[in-house]
Amino acid sequence: MIRVALRGVRAHLVRFVLSVLAVTLGVAFVVGTFAFRGMLSSTFDDIIATTLVADVYVRGADVLESDNPGAGGGSGGGFGEARSLVPLDLADDLARLDGVDRAVPDVSGPVVLVSADGTAVVTSGPPSTAFSIDPQDPSLTLADGAWPAGGQIVLEESAARTAGLEVGDTTTVVLGDEPSEVEVAGVFTVEAAPAGAVLVGIDDATARAAYAPDGLAAMISVYADAGTDAGADVDAQGLADRVGASLPEGAEAVTGDQVREEAGEAVEQVLGFIETFLLVFAAIALFVGAFIITNTFAMSVRERLRELALLRALGASPAQVFASVLAQALVVGVVGAALGVLAGAGLVRLIRAGLAAGGLEFSGRAPLDATQIVLAVGLGALVSVLAAILPARRAALVPPVQAMRDDVAPDRGTGVRAAAGLVLVAVGAGVLVLAAHLGASVSDAPTGWEVVDGLDPRLLLGVGAGLVLVGVLVGSPAVARGVLTVLAAPLVAALRPLGRLARGNVTRTPRRTASTAGALLIGMALVSVTGVIAASTQASVRTVVETEVRADLLVDSATWVVPDGALRAVEAVPGTQSVDAVRLGVTPALAVDAPAGTEARGADVGGVPARFFATALDPVAIQGDPTAALEAGDAVVHRSTARERGWEHGDVLELGAGAAAREVRIGAVIDSQIVSTGVVVDDDLFDALVPAGQQSVRIVYVTATDPAGTEALRADLLAAVEPYLVLTVLDREETASAFADQVDQVLVILYALLALSIVIALLGIVNTLALSIIERTREIGLLRAVGLGRLQLAGIIAIESVLTAVYGTVLGVATGIGIGAALPGVLADEGLSTLAIPWTQVLGVLGAAVVIGLVASVWPAIRAARLPVLDAVSVD
Amino acid sequence: MAEPTPTPAARASAHGLVKVYGSGPTAVRALDDVDVAFSGAHLTAIMGPSGSGKSTLMHCMAGLDTPTAGQVVVDGQDISRMSQRRLTALRRTRIGFVFQSYNLVPTLTAAENITLPLDIARTPVDRDWFDEVVGAVGLADRLHHRPSELSGGQQQRVACARALVSRPSVVFADEPTGNLDSRSSGEVLAFLRRSVDELGQTVVMVTHDPRAASYAHRVVFLADGRIAGEILDPSQQDVLDALAAVAEPS
Repeated sequence: MIRVALRGVRAHLVRFVLSVLAVTLGVAFVVGTFAFRGMLSSTFDDIIATTLVADVYVRGADVLESDNPGAGGGSGGGFGEARSLVPLDLADDLARLDGVDRAVPDVSGPVVLVSADGTAVVTSGPPSTAFSIDPQDPSLTLADGAWPAGGQIVLEESAARTAGLEVGDTTTVVLGDEPSEVEVAGVFTVEAAPAGAVLVGIDDATARAAYAPDGLAAMISVYADAGTDAGADVDAQGLADRVGASLPEGAEAVTGDQVREEAGEAVEQVLGFIETFLLVFAAIALFVGAFIITNTFAMSVRERLRELALLRALGASPAQVFASVLAQALVVGVVGAALGVLAGAGLVRLIRAGLAAGGLEFSGRAPLDATQIVLAVGLGALVSVLAAILPARRAALVPPVQAMRDDVAPDRGTGVRAAAGLVLVAVGAGVLVLAAHLGASVSDAPTGWEVVDGLDPRLLLGVGAGLVLVGVLVGSPAVARGVLTVLAAPLVAALRPLGRLARGNVTRTPRRTASTAGALLIGMALVSVTGVIAASTQASVRTVVETEVRADLLVDSATWVVPDGALRAVEAVPGTQSVDAVRLGVTPALAVDAPAGTEARGADVGGVPARFFATALDPVAIQGDPTAALEAGDAVVHRSTARERGWEHGDVLELGAGAAAREVRIGAVIDSQIVSTGVVVDDDLFDALVPAGQQSVRIVYVTATDPAGTEALRADLLAAVEPYLVLTVLDREETASAFADQVDQVLVILYALLALSIVIALLGIVNTLALSIIERTREIGLLRAVGLGRLQLAGIIAIESVLTAVYGTVLGVATGIGIGAALPGVLADEGLSTLAIPWTQVLGVLGAAVVIGLVASVWPAIRAARLPVLDAVSVD
Repeated sequence: MAEPTPTPAARASAHGLVKVYGSGPTAVRALDDVDVAFSGAHLTAIMGPSGSGKSTLMHCMAGLDTPTAGQVVVDGQDISRMSQRRLTALRRTRIGFVFQSYNLVPTLTAAENITLPLDIARTPVDRDWFDEVVGAVGLADRLHHRPSELSGGQQQRVACARALVSRPSVVFADEPTGNLDSRSSGEVLAFLRRSVDELGQTVVMVTHDPRAASYAHRVVFLADGRIAGEILDPSQQDVLDALAAVAEPS
């Protein structure tokens, strides 16, 4: 029995090739994701292991957990949560402790490095960091030149290469506030691959002046007395306890192992997000691939109906026939997955080489453990077997009498599918409407039903979207004939008789056409949802910038931080009516009337001048008057934060830690697309709450005295911030465009990830066409025998292909737009308030569908045209 | 022509067998109260004009189709009330089939096709019996060829060997020579007769070729779903005469 199954695969290898390829691509994506994560993991593990080498670390005792990772203050590098700072002077006391060799404060911060050609070195995400060089640090090796003195820097090797700087060159760096001329004193290497980070070493005095003006540092590294060999175990816990006993309040001592572990966990968490994100797309690719497998097996079963009936007549049980089809699927899945593992591992090496060529060095290790390989192969096999279950069931139910009949069982009706699809779409649409309603609502009880109001709109959005998509897929065979007839109408009229023949071929098996188009449908639905999100975001941003920004000009920074010196330079420019800087920090926040025992959680807090909401921004005031609130010393809270934390207008919050704690009333609740910080307070209160070292200027709003002089003012501002290299001055129009550009960048990544699904869908069309040509060999021979030319035959196949592709795309785009329509309601908090449908893009996608159809038809058409007429007619 | 008399030695028999296709005014009564018995070690031919119900009779007797009413007994077991599961097991162990269009699995060799029923039942192959059957069909030198490399007659002989390899109680052959030229037909029919005479098998063959029927020990005639008569050890001329009588009932 199994032999029949395996021979079947071997004899019709070509028919299963594309199924195998579909599994291969999907599994390669999964394995590639695992390996990519492994590569990032080992890179960061190396970095942690080679940079965090001290035996004990002293750090702030308070955790400033932020709602919004990455928005924390300026000073203090490293991984993990933001913490309060410790005094630098502590290092001297610690160094005198028994058993302590050295105690070195970590003084570092963001830097802008100017390369040899005069432009700033910009990374695509990794930080540019300057830090105080400790020549005794074992992880640093001087490769060339000398360690820096005042007015000098040393560069990490890859940073020096990227910047085109050599020892002895002079260049400009912006450390903290001011740009300064420096000489490159040396080049050093680090043990781990720097992963694209720009590392600049400076002398301790310069570092302290730039990054610790208030005498505070994020961490102090404590090294134990060497005493014994370097490899010998140091009693780190004992040392940490002794160091801890000597510390003032607000500081704590932890072992190096603990810090390394915490850093590792923080990295793993971020990498976990990346992995999950990529795996979602891999899952989509596998899901789309499943359609190819289902179709292949459905057609293989249909073709082998008599053979299967014979097996049944010879005494095979339905279970045996079922198992034999699944065995074939298992072979397809395992072979495809095994190839996929190889392809995935190769893919990551390619990516690594590509990134290295672009200046991003990663660890050469991209480990895949046995569990991941088994998981990936198992996944491929599982998808393949699941996809074959319906065809296998059909095979098992073949009546044995079929072995003696010549007629082929007719395609089953689609009534049940139509009903099920309709129900699913209707329920899904209902859930989407509910999600939009809940998401857009300001009140706590939009529907009044507690059970319903408690539901997460995003969860509902996901469930609704899933239901609609599945519903369309299920119902697709029922509408296929009608929709295809409409789509084919112009072709039928224009291309006689080819159009009519092609239409007949795609409409006579609506299930197969629908299933083939299904793969494309999913991909196109996702493309359109993405397109709707992008267009809506851009439209929303434009609306928001037009309505919400009062200021004429914005000074923004490529590093997300505007240096203090640049802020002073901007303030010094004449012709400004107001210069409003937004400073960011993190501080603990808790409602005063919160139940006892509730822990204060960190909140992003923004510091602005009291006049901010009158001169710079004009947000939607939901409760209270934001300007009055700031003037009264009250806090202004963003709607999403208020809702998340259960705060209301008039509540009193306790903000700040320890001695800096203040009780502040919520004076207004606003809804804004530009302010993303949860709590906004006026400058005086901000200074009281957030230590100077943890404040950073994010953006500066500037209003001109004379509106007509905006252009001149802009030129003056540009000249003032020019030395800081990373700053830009934008008017409102450009602000909107800058936001739009960010959206476009994200969009490119999403489209690239979805492209694989589209490619697999294209393979699916090739697969179905090629198989249907084998199935129709006799019919094709007949047409050729009565005078149909090769080119005409190829034409018919091309039309079939295009019709299938356009059908899938039309349904997919319609589904995508339908789902997209619910998004503005649900994602209002993310800055998506206006629904925009990118009609030009929709037309483009339809055009792409025609191209996909034509491309997919090339190989099947050639195959069909090459069929010898006589063979075609005489085939049994 | 004598009424068929069920003998105790009958390998397969039907009693009051009725098969109706469809329902209401369009219902077709393919078998109408048929009583028939096929005795062991006999080659029985079922003949009759198109639509007389001979294929339906065979399908019902072989457990491929369920009768509307009546009883079918194969090898002493009443199969008309059997579950699909037991019918499957019955087909696997007690019944062999030969089809008009050979129905070999194209991806398997001749030898593999022959042993397929045993593979399905996971029964070991009895090599002596296999060799005997293969020798009888005269295919010893073609065993490793694929069906596409064999002539029609050779393919049908492979199909016959497949039907016999599990030593079934009854072999049902549905127009076994329908697709063959006269020489190949002769080979296949001679083999079927030999399998009865020499190997002791029981074969029931549906045919409308009088020459094929002349190889049988006994010919049963069907018309309009009823038994219309039978003759024993017929010549080709006897069959033609009987057929003429059936076609124009007196």
